[in-house]
Amino acid sequence: MPRLLRLNGELTPPPELLETGQWTLESGLGVKLAVDAEVDERWLAAPLIAIDFPAFNDGRGLSLAVLLRTRLGYAGELIAVGAVHEDLLHYMRRCGFNGYVLEKDAAPREATLHPYSDYYQASAVESRPADRRMGGQPSISSRTSPTPSS
Amino acid sequence: MYRYDSFDQQFVDERVAHFRDQTRRYLAGELSDDEFLQLRLRNGLYIQRLAPMLRVAVPYGTLSSRQLRMLAHISRHYDRGYGHLSTRQNMQFNWPELAEVPDILADLATVQMHAIQTSGNCIRNVTTDEFAGVAEDEAVDPRPYCELLRQWSTSHPEFDWLPRKFKIAVTGAAADRAAVNVHDIGVIARQQGGEVVFDILAGGGLGRTPAIGALLREGLPARHLLTYIEAIMRTYNRYGRRDNKYKARIKILVRAMTAEGFKAKVDAEWAQLKGSPSTLSEEVIGRMAAHFEPSPYPQRPGAAEALAAQRLRNPAFNRWVRHNVSPHKQDGYAIAVLSTKETGTPPGDVSDAQMEAVADWADAYGFGEVRISHQQNFVLPDVGQEQLYSLWQAAVTHRLGTANRGLATDIICCPGGDYCSLANAKSIPVAEALQRQLEDYDYLHDLGELDLNISGCMNACGHHHVGHIGILGVDKKGREYYQVSIGGHSGADASLGQIMGPSFSRAEVPNVISDILDVYLAYRIEDESFLHCFRRIGMAPFKERAYAKAA
Ligand code: SF4
Repeated sequence: MPRLLRLNGELTPPPELLETGQWTLESGLGVKLAVDAEVDERWLAAPLIAIDFPAFNDGRGLSLAVLLRTRLGYAGELIAVGAVHEDLLHYMRRCGFNGYVLEKDAAPREATLHPYSDYYQASAVESRPADRRMGGQPSISSRTSPTPSS
Repeated sequence: MYRYDSFDQQFVDERVAHFRDQTRRYLAGELSDDEFLQLRLRNGLYIQRLAPMLRVAVPYGTLSSRQLRMLAHISRHYDRGYGHLSTRQNMQFNWPELAEVPDILADLATVQMHAIQTSGNCIRNVTTDEFAGVAEDEAVDPRPYCELLRQWSTSHPEFDWLPRKFKIAVTGAAADRAAVNVHDIGVIARQQGGEVVFDILAGGGLGRTPAIGALLREGLPARHLLTYIEAIMRTYNRYGRRDNKYKARIKILVRAMTAEGFKAKVDAEWAQLKGSPSTLSEEVIGRMAAHFEPSPYPQRPGAAEALAAQRLRNPAFNRWVRHNVSPHKQDGYAIAVLSTKETGTPPGDVSDAQMEAVADWADAYGFGEVRISHQQNFVLPDVGQEQLYSLWQAAVTHRLGTANRGLATDIICCPGGDYCSLANAKSIPVAEALQRQLEDYDYLHDLGELDLNISGCMNACGHHHVGHIGILGVDKKGREYYQVSIGGHSGADASLGQIMGPSFSRAEVPNVISDILDVYLAYRIEDESFLHCFRRIGMAPFKERAYAKAA
């Protein structure tokens, strides 16, 4: 049975959603966007936005999520539905998703959810400037020093 | 060279653990073939015709001697004692066991290496000039920017699931040795008013629909490199086709939107991204550049004279220097190309013993650094000029001393039907037959600069479109045939080859190539190159000659 997995590990029944054509603010329901939807301020009022992945290797939904978060400043609930693969959740989280509807009723293992303790880039959830991570961190003593130049 | 800090090391270590877990789940039946396919491709693992193939990333073609020794160890311990230098400056192993791949990755991680994003529809290993940092004609050292791109694109949250594979090449020299015109994104670094700026091309590529990249932006200040590329990637990720893998590369999108339309879309996106957190501060660029500061070069008094005397004494050595040695930024030094194209060995294949020998030479005749060129040769970037003679003697005994760089026998050749499950035809035996035929040095030398490139199928891993002569394996009713094209070129004045006409059987190929070369020798004016001659006289005389006998 499909379950909505939230970032805090909570598993609940998936929410009811309406396709963009049917959705109204009055419905009180979440709106389901196709991965090729253009970003539209209309959705900002929705209590929840879902992005529907047609295939688990279709990355369009990742860009759409980033745009909702960074371009429109959407701060509400953003979930991934459709062909969501547990091995891609670590990408989705960094694109701003905070929930995923999975086709099973147990949460994936920690090793799958959080395979890395940190990443190189700035992202929708990590606005630390690139220079905090890229090009090395010479203030940290464990760092191998670069070839001396002088 | 770039050296990992604790962050980089932790990331590759965690990548090993992550991939080990995915492999275990696959072998335990928890992941389907299809699921594991997508996951393993993000880590360079193909399942090929005969066995898995693991492609190890050699970031922008640069290796330390220690890393190369590890590759030799891996080839001996997990494979059959050899590896293959790819046309994207990587190293491939053709015979690993799937269950052992996590152990190979763990070994690689101990020498700051990995196989991340060497296959799959993601941003691949960034490639560059194999002479980066030492070439006499270089304006900007591209390596700091390559490494910044490597880090930025590693497991990128948004761009690891693109419509199709994505290749970025960077050059900073007058002669474009990185083929930036035929990459998804080509970056040309240059100096402008005392600052580093970039010209950005997009939509170039080989494969089924070869195209020269369109110039999107001129003179982009260095700090904007990542945000501008982010704008290109987002535009491609959102609008690139996903319904047909043959129409999914960025070149098709650029063509469909027109270069102007695509540029407008990218510029609109960039207007929003400009100045965002991925903007590179001067400090970051400076810190990265410090990794690539040249080693302090000891003076080599008398090196040039010693080399000149040795060249006079030994004609074979002299020939090797003429073809395989390039000028270095620093007086007394030279760049040496160790050709893997000795007749009888598949182009790019190197044994464990050869790898170890090259690593030893890198230490003895340089600062422990080795490069891999997209022509599938090794490069030693910092050889003292007076050391070239002993290097050459050692290279000859290890079958790496052939004097053919840039000549017709320095064939670029993909693994083709002998290894690759996508192949239409074999490519290695064709390369070997041509090498045998062209081997005579006087003839070879008389032909001069000539790029002969062979691919086993439309995927064009052997870069046949940009060979002065290109050969492409095609399937004709289940039989192996070869289509020949002429006039391709991958340098600064890049062009795509034109198909000569109907394809040939494998047995016919050597004669056809002879015919083409005869026409060139008959028509050339003085020491005109093959490419120049073709551009002047056009296809007709070649075609006429090659198809005359058949008629
Ligand atoms: S060109 Fe084709 S045959 Fe050759 S390696 Fe690439 S995919 Fe395989």
